[in-house]
Amino acid sequence: MTTEPIQAAPLLEARNLTKVYEDGVKALDNLNLKVLPGEIFAMLGGNGAGKTTTINTFLDFIQPTSGSALINSIDANQEPLEAKKYVSFVSENVQLYPNFTAMQNVDFFVRLGGQSNYERADYEHALIRVGLQREAFDKKLKDFSKGMRQKCGIAIAILKDAPAILLDEPTSGLDPKAGKEFTRLVGELRDEGKAILMSTHDIFRAKEIADYVGILNNGVLVAQKTYEELRGVNLEELYVEYMAGYMDETLESAVLTNDLD
Amino acid sequence: MLSLLIQKELKNILLSPKFVATFAVCSILILMSVYIGIQEYNNAVIQYEANQEIARQDIAEASNWRSIRNILHREPTPLQIFVSGLHFDVGRLSNISTSDDIKLIRSPYSDETLFAIFRFIDFTFIVQIVLSLFAILFTYDAINGERENGTLKLAFVNPISRASYLIAKFTGIWMGLIIPLLIPILIGMLMLILFDIPVLASDWGSIASLIGLSVLYITFFIGIGILVSSLARKSSLSFLLLLVIWIGGVLIIPRLGITAAGQLVPIESVAQIEAKQDAFQRARWNQYSEDLSETWRTRSAEMEGMDEAQAQAYREEKEWEWLEEDDATRKQVQVDIIENNRVLYEEVQNQKKIQEKLAFNIARISPVSSFRLAAMNLAGTDIDMKSRYEENMRFYKDDFTDFVERKQAENPDEQGGMRIEIDESGVSIDFGRDDQTLDTSELPRFEAPVVQAGTAFGNSLLDFGLLVLFIIVTFGGSFTAFLRYDMR
Amino acid sequence: MFKLIFAKELKEIIQSSRFTISFAVCSVLIILSFYMGAQNYLASLAQYEAAVQENNNQIAANTDWQFVNHSIMLPPQPLMALVNGVSNDIGRNIEMRSQGELRAENTRFNDEPIFAIFRFMDLEFIFGIILSLFAIIFAYDAINGEKISGTLKLCFANPLSRASFISGKLAGSFLGLSIALLIPMLIGCALLPLLGIQLTGEEWIRLGLILIAGLAYFGLFLALAIGISAITSKPSNSFLLCLVIWIFAVLIIPRGSVLISGRIADVPNVDQITAEKNRYRAQLFAEDRPKMADFSVDPQTEPMDVFPLFSEFMNELGTARQEKIDVFNARLNEEFTNKRRRQEQLALSISRVSPTSVFTLATTELAGTSLRLQNQYMDDAYEYQNTYASFMEEETGSANSGGFRMIVIDTDGNQEEPDPLDPNDLPQFQFNQGSVATIAGNTLLDFGLLFIFNLVFFGGAFAAFLKYDLR
Repeated sequence: MTTEPIQAAPLLEARNLTKVYEDGVKALDNLNLKVLPGEIFAMLGGNGAGKTTTINTFLDFIQPTSGSALINSIDANQEPLEAKKYVSFVSENVQLYPNFTAMQNVDFFVRLGGQSNYERADYEHALIRVGLQREAFDKKLKDFSKGMRQKCGIAIAILKDAPAILLDEPTSGLDPKAGKEFTRLVGELRDEGKAILMSTHDIFRAKEIADYVGILNNGVLVAQKTYEELRGVNLEELYVEYMAGYMDETLESAVLTNDLD
Repeated sequence: MLSLLIQKELKNILLSPKFVATFAVCSILILMSVYIGIQEYNNAVIQYEANQEIARQDIAEASNWRSIRNILHREPTPLQIFVSGLHFDVGRLSNISTSDDIKLIRSPYSDETLFAIFRFIDFTFIVQIVLSLFAILFTYDAINGERENGTLKLAFVNPISRASYLIAKFTGIWMGLIIPLLIPILIGMLMLILFDIPVLASDWGSIASLIGLSVLYITFFIGIGILVSSLARKSSLSFLLLLVIWIGGVLIIPRLGITAAGQLVPIESVAQIEAKQDAFQRARWNQYSEDLSETWRTRSAEMEGMDEAQAQAYREEKEWEWLEEDDATRKQVQVDIIENNRVLYEEVQNQKKIQEKLAFNIARISPVSSFRLAAMNLAGTDIDMKSRYEENMRFYKDDFTDFVERKQAENPDEQGGMRIEIDESGVSIDFGRDDQTLDTSELPRFEAPVVQAGTAFGNSLLDFGLLVLFIIVTFGGSFTAFLRYDMR
Repeated sequence: MFKLIFAKELKEIIQSSRFTISFAVCSVLIILSFYMGAQNYLASLAQYEAAVQENNNQIAANTDWQFVNHSIMLPPQPLMALVNGVSNDIGRNIEMRSQGELRAENTRFNDEPIFAIFRFMDLEFIFGIILSLFAIIFAYDAINGEKISGTLKLCFANPLSRASFISGKLAGSFLGLSIALLIPMLIGCALLPLLGIQLTGEEWIRLGLILIAGLAYFGLFLALAIGISAITSKPSNSFLLCLVIWIFAVLIIPRGSVLISGRIADVPNVDQITAEKNRYRAQLFAEDRPKMADFSVDPQTEPMDVFPLFSEFMNELGTARQEKIDVFNARLNEEFTNKRRRQEQLALSISRVSPTSVFTLATTELAGTSLRLQNQYMDDAYEYQNTYASFMEEETGSANSGGFRMIVIDTDGNQEEPDPLDPNDLPQFQFNQGSVATIAGNTLLDFGLLFIFNLVFFGGAFAAFLKYDLR
């Protein structure tokens, strides 16, 4: 892959992104955000706030009602196949193919991502980097724990070596140790110059590594703080502010959950 | 506590798409099968009557008692609407005459081969194949599915016993399957009344037993479903296992059992039996002619040394005695041949019985066979239907032959066939009877074999027992498996 | 991309326990059905040969062709044992007569009803019922299962088009499973010569076509299940829907449509036809009776010469009567046959809504056990009747027995012992299976329909996936 993104141009960008579902529910309302190379943008918000919808739009799983989602300045909904060359994705609960071994899964997805020059040693290297035990490499995924599956997922993203990475609730359900390890890996990827957009419930972890934190409520980006700004903000205050918005929408989100997750 | 659990199970099942699909499919199928069954029954009745008409014509045409023939037809029974059994495969009629052997010929399928391509669909078929499949669909995740969902843990946080949980589970599923079975079949029974099908009281009894049998059969499948679901950790695995069990039990074992028995106990074919009979007959007649020559040689020897006149006198004196002797020998030959034929026939029948017994016993490894066999016994369309009819027809044939012989003796003038007499005056042809009809009102009447409801039930008792046994085993298994179930 | 998905699909199938279990079951069943079919054929062949031998013995026991009771039998064919069709439901023996109507008696299921209870396990059953069910088991969660496990999202996070994904999936699962099924089929085929059954080249071609039809049928159920898994969200629902469709396609539509439409067409039953024929025959005989009574000869004739004269007279009357009966019966039969053909046409056409019927009709036709078997057998029997009649005429001087047999008792008793008959003098009955080209031609419609079903279901699955909500 020969991708030399122009410096300072955002790798991931949402422009006036709006999504209204058939039943009239507004999942995204004029959302704007940018993620530059070497940046982590964390989206915070309750269930149904629009985090997953945003990521789904970048992946062309959802067509926006208006506005556009750009990956490396390519409209993800106009030219999805082109745009997806520049993005990796790790989902909330990476399942992979249960009857495949870790190696076979990695091999398949990496090839799917357009990387066909790797050899087994490269896969092993990546899997060790994400912290998977060597003896698990040739075991079938159905015997894996959630943390081990998540590690395979991130290994796939690393091997695809796309400049942008989308993470959908990547640490939910992981134990603290695995969560911490995962956070470390994400930090490393950022330092390698990847542009990372992640959605999360976990404000503490977001505060720890994110360069920007955006708070979504009812599909609207209600606040956007930088890492520096966050350092000054009282965590509890932020939490309450965030929860207040969350409380208001609880009723609505209960209806939405089915559509959005 | 138990009633709460049962309520939950019932709600859970009655509101599920599974139940809706089962109910809809079963209703359509059962009502359609009863409707088609009624049409087929009416058709069989029409054919039965058409055949009575042919028999009457034949009798009316007969010119003398010797040439009189009758045709006996199997009587259709309303129970074949629910259990067609062997009705379509076994011949429906036999010719009755003094010379022909009894043999049921012309099965409904051989007359209307079109219907043999896909065969008939009856109530037992639906229960046997469709409902059992749905039973599996209802039960495969009964236990391990709840574990996977986490609802099992949630339920057992509360003070409930495992036994009551399992009972509730079973009751809910049982109701969910019995309702789609009972409602349409009750409507089906109403249809019998609406279409004026002559159903006897004992037939209603058989239908009721048939429904009871179906309930047992479904209960067994629920039992095995819950058993597998509590043995296999994952619902995907129990699903696959149950499907394999279903295919094996419903489709494979019954067929395999019968075919295996067919190979283990080979039965001589009709042609082989006929060959044996033929060989004996020929050998016996050859022996007879040799014996006869021998006898005559002895007789000639006795006349040795006599002169012509003496021999003549001796011959005349002995003639009557010799004739009687020869006649007795000839009759003995016939008796021997008939006896040999009977022995061979019985041998084949016994072989067949052994084969059947073995076949059914192998097939009974699967409760599906028990269900099918018991249902056919209840409806009287079982494997013995053919021999029952043939036996009754044989009795009838004896009566018929006696009657005809009596009539012939009463009317010695009525000779069979045409008689051409040639004498000095020329040729005269005697047609025997001319234009006057025979009085056939005294012709013996055929009584179709009736299987008493009690006997039918008795015949199916073994299979009922086996089904109950299977149910006890699967339920016992489910209980022990669930009492030791790892809830994590 | 297509190649990658294709390879992944193959690997995934082969590595799953679902495949291991069901492939094992399928293989055992396919091989078993070949084995049992072969055994069944050998048993029927032995029965057939014994019956032919018995018939010859009967003939050899006679000294005059006039008294011969000759029966012809339907020779068993290896393919008949593999795909039973209606072969167990039609009469196998025909008592041959020089004229008049022939009737086939002794169906297998009537002679051995024990086999009718559960029927045999033949290839048509294995493919039609078991393999279609396995196709559903393989594929009912092909799409929605991947969605639930999240792999679908993960795949489409890459530059992958939906078209290549679904076509890779369809092709991968179809080819993977077909090749897997082909193995037991080939073992089964190899079993036939090992068990001593030699198929002719034409029979191999027909068997090959049967297997192709089987794979096409399997493929369409696979595509159907994949398509359904792309329009339902939960695997449990897609299985339920597949199962209901399976029950209807496999069990209900073929039977229901034939039973209902068969009865819509107004066809009198066989017995009504027979009654009508009997009435006519009786009427003609009654008309002839006065003529018979008028028979007279020149009083000067020698008594021994009266017999041939009378015989000739009766033959003339009989022939005239038989001609009328033949005309009448032929008309009745033709009407009846036409009505019945129409009934069959209607019933079978309607049943073809279900791919299972199409498959059954195609395979039974290829195996020679479709409805055509009965017609062909009767046609051949009637053709043979002509040969037989001319043979009898040559041997006995009269083809007409007309229900009239004269027995001359000679009391002088010093005749020479006549020679027994040689059954080999009798022309042999030939059953004509039809050439492979004709048979293949007859199945063209059904193969076409199978192809269309495949096209529709593959296309449907493809289209359904293009609109699939990937989230």
